[in-house]
Amino acid sequence: MTTNIIPNRKVYLAIAAAIAAVSIGIIAVFGLRFGIDFTGGSLTEVSYTVAPDKAALETMVFDLGLEGSSVRASVDEAGRDAYLIRTRDLSEAERITLSETVTQLGVDGEVSRFTSIGPVIGQELRDKAVWAIGAVLLVIILYVAYAFAGIGTPVRSWTYGGITILVLMHDILVPTAVMAVLGMLIGAEVDVLFVMALLAVLGYSVNDTIVIFDRVREQLVANRTEHRVEREEAGIMLAEVTYTLDKPYVELVEAAVSQSMARSINTSVTTMVSLIALYFIGGDVTQNFALVLLAGVIAGTYSSLCIASPLVVAYAKWRGVDVDSVQTTKVI
Amino acid sequence: MSEPITTPTEIKETAPVIRLFRAAVVLACIGWLGYVVYSPVIDPTTSHPFKLGLDLAGGSHLVYEADVSKIDPTEVDELMNVLRNVIEGRVNRLGVEENVVYVEQSSFVTETPIERLVVELPGVSDVREAVAEIGNTPLLEFKLYNAELDAQQQSIGQSLESLAQSGTSSGAVIGDVKVNGEVVSDELPFTDTGLTGRFFERAEAVLPQNTQGSGFNSSPFLNITFTPEGGELFAQITRANVGNQLGIFLDGELLSAPTINEAITGGRAVVSGSFTPDEVQSLSQNLNFGALPVPIELQSTQTIGASLGEEVLGKGVAAGVIGFSLVIAFMLLWYRLPGLVAGVALVSYITIMLALFQYIPVTLTAAGLAGFILSLGMAVDANVLVFERMKEEYRAGASSREAARVGFNRAWSAIRDGNITSLLSAIILFWFGTSLVKGFALVFGLGVLVSMFSALVITRTLLVTLPDVKKSDHTSWAFLLGNGYKR
Repeated sequence: MTTNIIPNRKVYLAIAAAIAAVSIGIIAVFGLRFGIDFTGGSLTEVSYTVAPDKAALETMVFDLGLEGSSVRASVDEAGRDAYLIRTRDLSEAERITLSETVTQLGVDGEVSRFTSIGPVIGQELRDKAVWAIGAVLLVIILYVAYAFAGIGTPVRSWTYGGITILVLMHDILVPTAVMAVLGMLIGAEVDVLFVMALLAVLGYSVNDTIVIFDRVREQLVANRTEHRVEREEAGIMLAEVTYTLDKPYVELVEAAVSQSMARSINTSVTTMVSLIALYFIGGDVTQNFALVLLAGVIAGTYSSLCIASPLVVAYAKWRGVDVDSVQTTKVI
Repeated sequence: MSEPITTPTEIKETAPVIRLFRAAVVLACIGWLGYVVYSPVIDPTTSHPFKLGLDLAGGSHLVYEADVSKIDPTEVDELMNVLRNVIEGRVNRLGVEENVVYVEQSSFVTETPIERLVVELPGVSDVREAVAEIGNTPLLEFKLYNAELDAQQQSIGQSLESLAQSGTSSGAVIGDVKVNGEVVSDELPFTDTGLTGRFFERAEAVLPQNTQGSGFNSSPFLNITFTPEGGELFAQITRANVGNQLGIFLDGELLSAPTINEAITGGRAVVSGSFTPDEVQSLSQNLNFGALPVPIELQSTQTIGASLGEEVLGKGVAAGVIGFSLVIAFMLLWYRLPGLVAGVALVSYITIMLALFQYIPVTLTAAGLAGFILSLGMAVDANVLVFERMKEEYRAGASSREAARVGFNRAWSAIRDGNITSLLSAIILFWFGTSLVKGFALVFGLGVLVSMFSALVITRTLLVTLPDVKKSDHTSWAFLLGNGYKR
């Protein structure tokens, strides 16, 4: 099976650039709604068998004078009508006042979920998330550069690490844009679960990209001829080894992509069916998690097949490597 | 690649009996582990049940922040441990089963480390009682009067007063605590001595019979017996500060500030204040249940109703079962017999993971469950990698067993590199993360290792037990060992 992805790389890269641009646009326009996990504050879910009017509830909540309160209609896990009330972080006394106020209205009012997070914890969580993602990216770059070191490719091994990260950016942008849309449509908020989904996407995407680069590596090693020139200098034997690729670089990368196609798609299918099950059956708590991950897996599959390898070839060409014909690289 | 790969060194064929035996051993192990994992579901008295997080079991999660800013950094760990024991003792009085109290440090990401105490109360959805109970834990401190600090505050107070001009309000306003008849700010001019609740052995309320006009100790007071260590510290403090005032603070408020006349040895102290008999009695009781070594403040509360948790758990398990079935169905359709083998490997992956959840133990949360369901799809990846390689060899004419062998060898570098990066990510997340992220990282990291094991050991063992056929044989075995995709 030939996919012709590498020969048509400009088209695929243009699509990727468009996807990334649209994602950035969506994020910029809609913005992300940060949940109390990150901002601090409190969230009260109150469920009713017969829910009161939203306006009535709002009036009562606002009358408590808690700054920045908002009320959002929702459905709890058991399928009852519920409201989510978000306020600044509450003291124990304020919590009691609020829960007494909101259960007065409607029928069988019950606070089914309450979370209050101090601003310090929120800030710390945000810092940690940024640090963790940064550290993971750094380690990936280093490991990929290390794993591909010294195979004498037309481009240096750092390129593979760097491109892995570029591809990751694309894969993170897409689910983040999905989150922004969800925020706009149903008021979904960025919470710890979202960060975990992004981290999972990160892991998935890197794995997918590395598998294809592994094929590239294999192709390069299998299709090269070694030339060894030994000479003596000041009594020491020096061996200078050069390699000639037996096929053009473009062809080798294309072969690697074509061979990885079935595996990439199959793994994404098995992952997606799990996520679809999670989305439809797994309950409200993890529904957004599943949707965001689904977007990430699709983006990750596209990017590892249609962005990563084309980018390597494009970069090599830009650096002046003649990718279309048989050429020589040198490794000492 | 189109040429069949021939291995350079001739591999000695293992006897079929041995291969069958190995496969049987692997299957038996999975079966046994499956029974072990399943037994807690039918036998509730097991010593290794699944540990459900509060969001699945329902309950409350309280986070207190401990103020350790005035504590010698080398002592912080010990004090937090004392604090943990004290609070655990109090929470136990509530009769909540399986409550968990633990200390958590903010990671090095924050500039100043913050010490937190986390209290988890499964099944408790009304935290009022728990918060009140914990709030009852008294903080009794002995502090020394600091004349220098007092002078500074006085001058600040005076300048404030002159600013305020009118006589209606005093400059130092916030706390209306009086010491020796003077109004001071809430930052009283006292310095810590380190003599706090951790050194108390016993407290005893003393109610004098004659409360009428007998002068000195007529109102109720408290007799405190220090631990030997505390007694020594008390003696040391009093010896070094004869003539100075020793302030006694309850929950940050000054009770009394007697002048030290002489070194007090013997490890006892008298705490007096304007107590009523009831107050002094409940205070002594509360002190005997444990006093706080450091001040704490409630930072965050999380409550999840029990029925809600059950609902989330039920749906999560259902999603897992459906997701698992779909993955296996896909693998069977695409890879036929090897797909079945991958299914067995996936079953063993699930069994091993669940066993690890029970025995480590890993607390299962909604997020952890979602992560686990996601991992079902990703765990077959190593199998997919191997099967795709195997397919290439098989198509090119290699026998199925030979194709499997080459497939494993060829796929290894991709499996290795992909999994090492995942593992490194998991380690970093575990290192940086808060408890929630830590749980996710642990499940993720374990999943990587276990899925690798299931593919490299279980899939491999079973795959080489299957009959050795060639695609050109055109038998039903040859069909079963091929795969569904026609070029």
